[in-house]
Amino acid sequence: MPQYVTLRIDGANVVAPRGRTVLDVAIEYGICIPHLCHIETISDMGACRLCIVENVVDGRTKVTTSCTLQVQEGMVIATNTERIRKLRRNIAELLVAEAPNSRAIQDIAVRCGVKRVRYPFRNRDCVLCGRCVRVCAEMWDARAIGFVGRGKERHVDFPFGVRPDFCKRCGSCVQLCPMTITPCDGPMGPGEERLCGKCESQLMVTERMPDTCVLCDLGKGFACARHG
Amino acid sequence: MPRLAGIGELENLRAAAVAERQRASMTLIVCGGPGCQASGCRAVADALSEELAREELTSEVQLRVTGCHGFCEQGPIIIVEPAGICYCRVEPGDIAEIVSTTLRGGVVDRLLYADPSSGERVRSAWEIPFYRLQDRVLLALHPEIDSSSITDYIATGGYSALAKVLGEHSPDRVIKAVTSSGLRGRGGGGFPTGRKWATCRAAPGDEKYLICNADEGDPGAYMDRGVLEGNPHLVLEGMLIGAWAIGARQGYIYVRNEYPMAVEHARLAVAQAREYGLLGDNILGSSLCFDVEVARGGGAFVCGESTALMASLEGKVGEPRAKDVHTVEDGLWGKPTVLNNVETWANVPLIMRNGPAWFAAKGTKGSKGTKIFSLTGRVKNTGLVEVAMGTPLRTIIYDIGGGAADGVAIKAVQTGGPSGGCLPADKFDLPVDFDTLAQAGSMVGSGGMVVMDEHTCMVDVARYFLAFLQDESCGKCVPCRLGVDRMLEIVTDITEGRGRPEQLELLEELGETVRETALCGLGKTAPNPVLSTLRYFREEYEAHVRERRCPAGVCRALIAYQIDPERCTGCGLCRTACPHGAITGESKQPHTIVADACLRCGICQSECRFEAIVLTERG
Repeated sequence: MPQYVTLRIDGANVVAPRGRTVLDVAIEYGICIPHLCHIETISDMGACRLCIVENVVDGRTKVTTSCTLQVQEGMVIATNTERIRKLRRNIAELLVAEAPNSRAIQDIAVRCGVKRVRYPFRNRDCVLCGRCVRVCAEMWDARAIGFVGRGKERHVDFPFGVRPDFCKRCGSCVQLCPMTITPCDGPMGPGEERLCGKCESQLMVTERMPDTCVLCDLGKGFACARHG
Repeated sequence: MPRLAGIGELENLRAAAVAERQRASMTLIVCGGPGCQASGCRAVADALSEELAREELTSEVQLRVTGCHGFCEQGPIIIVEPAGICYCRVEPGDIAEIVSTTLRGGVVDRLLYADPSSGERVRSAWEIPFYRLQDRVLLALHPEIDSSSITDYIATGGYSALAKVLGEHSPDRVIKAVTSSGLRGRGGGGFPTGRKWATCRAAPGDEKYLICNADEGDPGAYMDRGVLEGNPHLVLEGMLIGAWAIGARQGYIYVRNEYPMAVEHARLAVAQAREYGLLGDNILGSSLCFDVEVARGGGAFVCGESTALMASLEGKVGEPRAKDVHTVEDGLWGKPTVLNNVETWANVPLIMRNGPAWFAAKGTKGSKGTKIFSLTGRVKNTGLVEVAMGTPLRTIIYDIGGGAADGVAIKAVQTGGPSGGCLPADKFDLPVDFDTLAQAGSMVGSGGMVVMDEHTCMVDVARYFLAFLQDESCGKCVPCRLGVDRMLEIVTDITEGRGRPEQLELLEELGETVRETALCGLGKTAPNPVLSTLRYFREEYEAHVRERRCPAGVCRALIAYQIDPERCTGCGLCRTACPHGAITGESKQPHTIVADACLRCGICQSECRFEAIVLTERG
């Protein structure tokens, strides 16, 4: 029998089994916390930092990622305060400036309230969310790809740059990659990068209902935990 | 040497070791710390031992090569005991004179420390202002001990705290003593050590681990190196007491491979302690079983972070993980683990020896005891400095450090390494303790102190530290990898004259974001150099951005060199020195600099003997 704990998320009393993370529980209850590197059933690494929430411990408010935070009895979580929105917007801005050619990331940026990008665009192919690496290791136990290098040099690659036999070309890595969803108008070339804001999708609804999961199309595209 | 089976045997050994040390009528102490090594103390020590052998004095005069004394600026240092005479900047050629004069009871005046203001020679080490004004507890032990000798350590009271603890203290009593001493972690965070131990002791599970973090990587800091090299048994004794307190059987010393002597001394100390039965099963006849392994780090700065260090020890990639569950409950191999810094461990035996009240008597309300700082940069007396917590910055920089190195006014001090902040001169009356410095936007950190003068550009300093952190970031989380990268991009823009006024606000906002949201301690503190310089030296940023001017004359894109025709004698030195061929002129006629060819390296200025080359703003 799982043990249950009661906690408050954005003022709502929530009952959840011990051992689950705040992000999982929030999504289950229809509270949308933007997230990128999180995939349900796969372990979390806390890389993208989009799912940050405020956790009040002993009267002190700590900002922490909800995907690595396990539920505890009596916890008080705020997912959508002014401060969190601002921090999240800044992180999303960093991400979209790095990789404007992903509709997933463009949509996350809009979802997080990014109105303009104050950094030069870079047009990278990878934001190192690590979804591919973890799904390969944990779902298929293959470990055919991994992170190589440190800091600026960090990238995803096969061991020694050669595709090993134990890569079965299952394609899970590609399927879960947020970079595979191209912008509606097609890929942007170097120098053409911009913040995509034309889309009148359900994302716009999120401006009126900022902390409610609206089952947005974006989620389907990059396999948001809500869509499973 | 057989294992020490009990406390009685340890005391017998101590008595024998003390008698052995008293056999010699005179001891010559050569500092073998990293600073003195760099100035050639190895050759001095070799010359000294040859000289003693030649004069057949080896039985009367003892030679002791020890750990760092702290006064690295004046190295190599020799101290003659029992008179306490201190010789500075000794060269191998001076040895014969020192030995013959000392035997006659005389003093070699020219090698004594000269007070820079009065020129007066100071005989004894402890009268030198640099030493006199410090409150040396850990560093004071270094000259007493040959760092490769366990008997030296035992002769000076070593392992007596362990014997006391094993004989009469329950683990809970040890934790209570450490808690009431007020000891806080010396590695940077300043977490109360007693509370950490108590949580780990209470954590479920029989298997627990201890780690000594000696992965010191801050530019310009070498406190932990000094302690681990100079007194490794003190650190081991601290770990043994910790093992007794929390119930651990295995400990690790994680030391960076770039510190070869620290690795060597730590390994030697572990081997000696095993031989004497001070590590292993049933230590000193008690129920304590504990062993220590020395692990070498590959030199990644981020591996000084506790979770990254543990991942590295486990053989995984040295990357931090989220610490929502603390390492005292879920640490090395998923077991409760206590990780403390070298200096923290080194303080533990002294607290148990002298009592927690002795330790708590020093320092401020929230920060007790003494702390070692490594004082570097533009001060006269660089070296390791140990002062009581709460000592004002001014005392450390001006009284102990001797003030500005070459007459240029001191502008700021950078405390706490790359993650710390820069404090301006008008904050120098702040007492150095964990809470005050944190409030002022910097931190005690592990204890690095880099002094900067008016010739230092604070924007350039911020750029340097950002570049360091960008290089050392593991790249796992977005705020640290991309945030620090973008901050560096902006600051580089500013130093190269492309800065825009609105970028300053962006820099602040981005810094706040990184500080709040990064995964680990490295990322959370990475914006400190930028945020603190923006807070205290905003006018320098403004000058770069609005006036395209570098007030300190450092940022190459914003300066130009010119030759003053009045002063130039046409000697041609600058013309031959210029690597870019940017200086032209006839012999004995005033020269000129071709602005387009000049890369503003400044070589000409340092070559010119007539001060004819002047730094101007680039128009």
